[in-house]
Amino acid sequence: MKTWFGTYLTSSHAEPVEATVLAYEKNIAIGFRQANGDNSTINWNIGDIDAAFDNSLQATKISNIKDPGTKLLINGKNAKEYIEQLQAEHHKPWHKKENTKEWSRNLLIFLSIASVLVTAYFLIVPWLSEKLASTVSVKTEEQFGNAVYDALSLEEDKEATIIVNNFFKELKVTTAYNVRIIVVNSDVVNAFALPGGNIVVYTGLLKELKTYPELVALLSHEFIHVNNKHSTKSIFRQLGSRVFLSLLFGKFGSVTSVMIDQADKFKSLKYSRGLEKEADVEGLAILKERKIDPEGFVSLFKHLKDSAPASAMPELLGSHPDIDNRIAYIRDVSKNAAVEENIQLKTIFEKLK
Amino acid sequence: MIVTTTHYVEGRPVQEYLGIINAQSIIGANIFKDFLGGLRDVFGGRSKTYEKVIEQAKEDALRELAEKAQAVGANAIIGVDLDFETIGGSGSMLMVIASGTAVRL
Repeated sequence: MKTWFGTYLTSSHAEPVEATVLAYEKNIAIGFRQANGDNSTINWNIGDIDAAFDNSLQATKISNIKDPGTKLLINGKNAKEYIEQLQAEHHKPWHKKENTKEWSRNLLIFLSIASVLVTAYFLIVPWLSEKLASTVSVKTEEQFGNAVYDALSLEEDKEATIIVNNFFKELKVTTAYNVRIIVVNSDVVNAFALPGGNIVVYTGLLKELKTYPELVALLSHEFIHVNNKHSTKSIFRQLGSRVFLSLLFGKFGSVTSVMIDQADKFKSLKYSRGLEKEADVEGLAILKERKIDPEGFVSLFKHLKDSAPASAMPELLGSHPDIDNRIAYIRDVSKNAAVEENIQLKTIFEKLK
Repeated sequence: MIVTTTHYVEGRPVQEYLGIINAQSIIGANIFKDFLGGLRDVFGGRSKTYEKVIEQAKEDALRELAEKAQAVGANAIIGVDLDFETIGGSGSMLMVIASGTAVRL
């Protein structure tokens, strides 16, 4: 915006009055005091005016084609140059349909940025996080896993721990990890794997197991979690998307951030179900290679289902796939599997009873 | 229109005081600007995106102030003061208040 002082003539015979002139992009506003003392402002469209420099007056003479007879005088050449600039800008093609053009351009920019951000959130950030997770050394994972285990301060069943570890050694799986199974005294029917090789099994679940293939199924499932760095990957992915989202939405109010948090959790649940399925399927491969009955998985899942009575939660909201689904795909993959009795595993398993 | 932060205009005495006028401009940096600003917050350095937003808000406020002055028949605004504030839930919007005295020199 520019401002000038000028002299305004309401008609060719009228007395000139002092005026303040404000020049905007599309119009100029002329403010002056009428003869009766009232203030008055008139607006001239940039397109309607004609500015010329008058050499004898050394002033810019501005007239309005829509209002003949009126005249505005501004000292110096500045006003003429500025108005010509505005008029040149005004005549450029995009100025005519400015609003629609600008809107469609802004919408396009918005959509392209939004699609970049969505791609980043759904593809690039998870990919990058997993890349980073896979660079974490076994040793670091071990240190982290041990720290988490110590922090949990669980009550260990030493005798059962030795038996279950011997049982796992008998499976002879090859891995870079130093897998250590810890049996914990608790009625909870569950087991979990920590990064770096610690697998925690609750006695509540061990008591439920009736045959040795069930224990093999449980241990191979948890072993795959360790061997495929599932916990580490999950942590990195969550961290990655958190950092990304907080950069993007960090400045929003608490309601928005709660909504975004929940949406992010929802997404990570889907990932978690994917990892569980991977652990089931690859764990099943361990059973098949050793000719152990894949039904071990099925009965293991049944124990889990019995222990968590009829949860009404749909699969979409769970961190694990629905048990019936898990049974279905295990049965599907394990069709016609060769089965042989493994005496050593059986003997070790009997010791637990 | 003379717009100045001083209380006098050199060589031109005030003929008429037309009252205090003020104008405000409240402007939100959009989420992309916030994103870029957020990156600057992490990595350091000047945030041009936010600087532009402040500049824009200041321009708008001064422009509105001049319009108001013109409407009351002033040809100058003296003693102009600019205030910058952040408002909104988490301070993500900027407010610029311009105030001054409209006068006729």
